[in-house]
Amino acid sequence: MNLRYVFQELTRRRRRTVIAVIGLSIGIALLVILNALSLAYHEAARAPLKEIGADITVQRPGNVPEEMVGAVFPCSAVTIRRDEIDRIEKVSGVRGMGTALLLWVFDPNRAWIVLGIEPENPVGPSILRNFVKEGRYFAAGKPEALVEAAYARQFGIRPGDSVSIAGRSFPVVGLVDASHAPKIAVANLYLPLPEAQAIAAASKPLQSVSPFAVGDVNLLFIKADPEKITSVASALKGVLGQKTAIATPDSFLKLLGSFFALSDKFTLAASLIAILIAVLIAFKTMAGNVAERTREIGVLKAVGWTQRNVILQLLAESVVQCLIAGILGLLIAFVAAFALGFMTVNIPIPWEMSPTPHFLPGGGAPFYKTLRLPVHIPISLALFAVLLSAVIGGLTGALLGRHISKIKPSEVLRHE
Amino acid sequence: MSEAILVGDDLTKTFDNLTVVKRASIAVGDGEFVSLVGKSGCGKTTLLSLLSGLERPTSGRVTIAGQEISGASEDDLALFRRQNVGFIFQSFNLIPTLCAWENTALPLFPIRMTEAARRRRAAELLDRMELGHRLEHLPAALSGGEKQRVAIARALINNPKIVFADEPTGNLDTATGDAIMAILNRLHREAGMTLLMVTHNAELAKTADRVVRMQDGAVLS
Repeated sequence: MNLRYVFQELTRRRRRTVIAVIGLSIGIALLVILNALSLAYHEAARAPLKEIGADITVQRPGNVPEEMVGAVFPCSAVTIRRDEIDRIEKVSGVRGMGTALLLWVFDPNRAWIVLGIEPENPVGPSILRNFVKEGRYFAAGKPEALVEAAYARQFGIRPGDSVSIAGRSFPVVGLVDASHAPKIAVANLYLPLPEAQAIAAASKPLQSVSPFAVGDVNLLFIKADPEKITSVASALKGVLGQKTAIATPDSFLKLLGSFFALSDKFTLAASLIAILIAVLIAFKTMAGNVAERTREIGVLKAVGWTQRNVILQLLAESVVQCLIAGILGLLIAFVAAFALGFMTVNIPIPWEMSPTPHFLPGGGAPFYKTLRLPVHIPISLALFAVLLSAVIGGLTGALLGRHISKIKPSEVLRHE
Repeated sequence: MSEAILVGDDLTKTFDNLTVVKRASIAVGDGEFVSLVGKSGCGKTTLLSLLSGLERPTSGRVTIAGQEISGASEDDLALFRRQNVGFIFQSFNLIPTLCAWENTALPLFPIRMTEAARRRRAAELLDRMELGHRLEHLPAALSGGEKQRVAIARALINNPKIVFADEPTGNLDTATGDAIMAILNRLHREAGMTLLMVTHNAELAKTADRVVRMQDGAVLS
């Protein structure tokens, strides 16, 4: 193999090289961008859960409260018992867990959506600490309250005030800007989990619908091994019952619509077609090239090139040409990924995860997590594309080189 | 005739029941210039192919520099040609994408040596062909005579024991053809180059030390 010869062949037969490289690079670009898009939609679907450090959320639906008085459970989230939590923690693939308690509290002159959270547990709504816009976050072990900023503005609540919830008084230590917080964790008032549990345990209307003991919760946030999310979700239904509402990245992906639900199959089929196109372009170009150069190859053999010399030369030309196409295809894909990154996608949040009662303003309306499509090309995909280009070049060059190198120089040089 | 460097003994070549070369025998001495003449289609080029190792005979033996090549494999023949044989073709057969020095160095490409050494060797030969100023020119930018001089340089780059020329002036006008023949004669006289030239031109054939005639696939003299 002579690299100077390779270089001269590719640069001095410029038109043919350019056509081949462009054709092949489009195939590679298509392959990369389709896969990058698919990954982007998967990542987008994971976003609502990722923001609260979880892979799975769990709620158990129950009965509608008999009367809207005091603290009650939304019908989408009733008691998950302590013993059930202990069993879930032992499920294979569960790496961490956060718990929370969502309550609707109806006081005589005001209704609250109250979320009891574990302030220091990274799995779950503790991310709210990043959205405190006034005052401070919870201090450890103290019975304090955080109020959602818009709600506080509406009712004139400020840090330093006290609020009364189900007959219990809590000092307001901070305001939270929930408009930027994960939708799953949005409420009007946030309390440390033990305080919310105490309110729930003391509520007769709540106990009459769904018995609740201190230590129980009604929301679970689970961190799972990425490859075991499906099996963990299945195991959770085994523990909590088949009607349990379990949200996973896949369930969000399905909510994105049928096109995206089919994205995996679509991407696979389109990728195969793109690869096939790339192979055909490489093969056709190289075959045309070799056919044109039959006489030249006869001359090479006449002056002492062995079959191996000829094959290696054609192989090198083909691999270099396809590598250039692969790199160009990758550049095209990067540009396309940059452009597609300006697209936004609305991730629908399932109604049962909405904390707002359907009978309140805004309750029951579909709500979305809107985010820019996170299109990026992982290094593994980029390397795969370049490697694939080299393999296509190698196979094409080797196949055609092997065929053409068998010609006898006397046969092509005889007819002068 | 000095000691034979090329011996073709009782060579026959048949293609699909058509016998093109019939029991031909020929010997070329070291440093000798032999012309192989005959009408078109008489089997000259096929005999040249057999003698140079481009083609294997149906029967008979070829020996070059004491080494029998008739039964060698394709790759062994290629290696043998790289080390022992030079070719000059009627149509020059230069690679269109390589410049003059690269075409000259073509037989050296598969050999492990530096590019500078290849270029130096090619430049020396092209200088001898009075093409020292055309090293970087592509074949498309060369005249017919210049192309053939590049082809001669290419044939000599591996210091061959024998050079085979197939109608080397066939595609050239008379003046250019004469110039090419003058170069071949000079190389033969001054450098002792052994040359077997196929031609159908009786006048050109006369410039050789010896003329071998062919008719209907057989060697006559």
